[in-house]
Amino acid sequence: MSEARIEIERLAVRYGNVMAVNGVSLTIGQGEHVTLLGPSGCGKTTTLRAIAGLEEPSGGTIRIGGTTVYSAHERRNVPAERRGVSMVFQSYAVWPHMTVADNVAYGLRVRKLPREQIAREVARALDLVQMRNFADRSAANLSGGQQQRVALARAVAFSPEVLLFDEPLSNLDAKLRAEMRVELRDLQRRLGVTSVYVTHDQEEALAISDRVVVMNVGGIEQIGTPEDIYNRPKTRFVADFVGSANLIAGQVKPGAAGPGCVAFAAGGLELQASAAHPPRGDEDRVAVRTAYIDIAPADSGTGASNRIGGTIRQRLFHGDFIQYIVDSPIGQLTVRRPPTEMFDEGCAVTLSFAPEHCILLQA
Amino acid sequence: MTDIVRSGATLPEGVRWGRLPSAQTVTSVAVLVFCAGLVGYPLVYLVAESLNVSGEDVFPPAEMGLGNYTDLIDDWHVLANTAFVACLATVMALVIGFLAAWSLTRTRLPGRPQLERLMQLPYYMTPLVGALAWSILAAPRTGFVNQLWHGLGGPGDIVNAYSPFGIAWVMALFEGTVAFVMISAAMKSMDPALEESARVMGAGKWRTMLTVTLPLVMPGVLGAAIFVFAEMLGSFAAAFVLGLPARYVVITTAMWQAVQSFPPDYPRASALGLALFAVMFATLSLYRLVVRRGNFATITGKAFRPRAMAVGRLAWVLFGACLAYVVVAVVLPLGTLLLTSFQHFATVIMSQSEFTLANYRAALGFGAVRAALTNSLILGVGVATVGVVVMALLVWIIYRSRAPGHAAVEYVVMFPQAVPRMVFGLALLWAWINIPIPIYGTLWLLALAYFTVLLPLGVRTLAGVVLQIDKSLEECARVCGASWFYQLRTVTMPLLRPGIVAAWLLVFIASVRELGVSIFLVGPKAKVIAPSIVSAWLSSSSELSAALAMIQTVAIFIAVIVLFRATRRFSGEPA
Repeated sequence: MSEARIEIERLAVRYGNVMAVNGVSLTIGQGEHVTLLGPSGCGKTTTLRAIAGLEEPSGGTIRIGGTTVYSAHERRNVPAERRGVSMVFQSYAVWPHMTVADNVAYGLRVRKLPREQIAREVARALDLVQMRNFADRSAANLSGGQQQRVALARAVAFSPEVLLFDEPLSNLDAKLRAEMRVELRDLQRRLGVTSVYVTHDQEEALAISDRVVVMNVGGIEQIGTPEDIYNRPKTRFVADFVGSANLIAGQVKPGAAGPGCVAFAAGGLELQASAAHPPRGDEDRVAVRTAYIDIAPADSGTGASNRIGGTIRQRLFHGDFIQYIVDSPIGQLTVRRPPTEMFDEGCAVTLSFAPEHCILLQA
Repeated sequence: MTDIVRSGATLPEGVRWGRLPSAQTVTSVAVLVFCAGLVGYPLVYLVAESLNVSGEDVFPPAEMGLGNYTDLIDDWHVLANTAFVACLATVMALVIGFLAAWSLTRTRLPGRPQLERLMQLPYYMTPLVGALAWSILAAPRTGFVNQLWHGLGGPGDIVNAYSPFGIAWVMALFEGTVAFVMISAAMKSMDPALEESARVMGAGKWRTMLTVTLPLVMPGVLGAAIFVFAEMLGSFAAAFVLGLPARYVVITTAMWQAVQSFPPDYPRASALGLALFAVMFATLSLYRLVVRRGNFATITGKAFRPRAMAVGRLAWVLFGACLAYVVVAVVLPLGTLLLTSFQHFATVIMSQSEFTLANYRAALGFGAVRAALTNSLILGVGVATVGVVVMALLVWIIYRSRAPGHAAVEYVVMFPQAVPRMVFGLALLWAWINIPIPIYGTLWLLALAYFTVLLPLGVRTLAGVVLQIDKSLEECARVCGASWFYQLRTVTMPLLRPGIVAAWLLVFIASVRELGVSIFLVGPKAKVIAPSIVSAWLSSSSELSAALAMIQTVAIFIAVIVLFRATRRFSGEPA
């Protein structure tokens, strides 16, 4: 990984008697795009605001570009305006009493740059978001999507070292959100700016991040690349919150079944599961992604290690995929298959999934 | 250094407290103490005086006892009169308010937006102006209506403003618009889907109205009823102008008589005032309870566009009724005063009328009266200008800072609302007579008094705007690199401007028309307009008081027009 841009150590933020953030440690590399993902109230926005300097933590350390901007020990808390970060707010926070160009120029004017340079940078930023034609419009009469673009242009106009995003797409409709996702990823790559992004939308997090930080009740559950988080969830919370997974109850068998491989007893069957670490012995859940389970007509084929008989209880046609609910000895399983694989309700089938897709979760 | 590290490591609180008290906390505590003193200090004097049974005006009283309160029992008819007039006026104001609110929010009236603006006008009339006008219009024998009736050969009088009904009528015309605003707010904040779902479930128009609409609007109506009732209890002008000629005395006028009698009976006035304050405080506490209780989760702060009912020809009837209200509450009184102010003797029989400019010449030329006008304008501009700056600071402490005690500041600032103006005026009079700082009888005391009693008005107006400004608009400026001061100048102040303009004008208007506090605090060297109108009326010159009232009303209406323009310009921009 490239050199560290943001370092957070044992960050704690207290609201009255509630610890909104409790002991979060995280290092973000130069040019990296990291997403904080979690349900509402998990502390992701508070963490972001603490990085920005909008929330005063009660403990820990934050360093940006090697400079300590917050430290409980040194009693140092650099105000937001001197941290060299920029932020896109959930509500966009586009100032209604200014024009689009005035909004975008704000950070440049604060820095007292020469007039010509301001004009150039504003034009460049507005070009990035394709809002050049709106420069002289009043910001009060823009649509949600346009405000979003203005907020983005304003945030990048003064070339900040760090860009923070607080659920910037959550107020847009689904189609626009999907478009903006592509644009944001593209923009982030082009500018090469270090960015921290907060969202509760797991799809968004997986799609646009270099690394995802899954948070829950004020702490970090798991940090990893999107593929890591999706394929190898560590905890029940991550398996459940990110993507869709079947959580199968049972009991891990002592001793490794192979390298990185364990045996797991569930519903009178023995499953081959993979584990990142040697099991402690009290693990009682494995996770299998709904997309990783194959369905075949009953008693057909052989080979794969995890094979379970079952009956299709319900079929829901979603268009891009078909979701089956299958009754099996290890409980009801949800399976998503491409729309080309059609099975009738009530039909007996065989389910199978590879051991590397059957993940032993931490107890 | 190691000590700091250790305490920081083991006691996270120690770190926080080590940094406190911050400048914010100090400011907030100082403001709290100052406001509490401003509001509380006069009331302490009032309580002490109400317990004074020594018969001498010394402070602290030589002898204390509850004698003044037990004497109130003898004044039972005064209390009964007060309650009767307040109930009567509340019922009338609610009828006006409910009908107008329903017509304007739930039916398809022609010209709704314009009518809604017109409906606000009666609020800018003062009860004093209304009472003067109606005494000229409907006094027995000499009232315009009775003059016309006699002219047509009718026997006796057909109307009599000098009666409890007259008082209630004038107050109801004034308070009707308050009820209208409160009830229509409740009606507007109701999601039409709530009614539509009742219709879809098979309920008819009337059943929906009875089972869904009314229960949801009821808290708003009840809130308006209690609020208006509390205002009526403390009202003075109408009872003064219309009640005294008929020897119909309510608490506020009884207080005035006690202070004006020779020797002044301050203890009795204080006991009356505190009794009134107690009732008003209880009523307003009930109001807060009802408003909070009635805040159903379904009624969100979001403004909906309620589905308007097509009512056919009834629309024109309702339109006429709303217009009639504005005519009766604004046009008719102002017309009467305008006519009277140009006459030697008030009459509506034009053949007997003698027109003259003498009243205006007297009003503007006569030293004392002109001084009162000038003083009122000086006070209005001064209190509004200084007041808005201080109020903005207060609003910021209450709603934006996380400084400890901001809730206490809010409570203290809103407290004057629960004190009847007359009672507060009396308290201030008593407090400043007994203190060696020589501001009694000067404009300074009036300015202080106006600022205190207008705190709730100004703070609420500014808060309305501050709360609408999303906090992230300010935070974003900081993240962009702006210092606190730069942010204040480029983001906060421009966004606050409409609120500041509105608060300034409202405080100015309220100062210029102030009567309740002023009436006890004016002195020979510190006269203001509203009490001068009262004295002109007492020396039985309806014509001069009409001219003065016209001048006051014109000043207020100029401010109102500026206010409407300013707010419309700003509300024209969807923020």
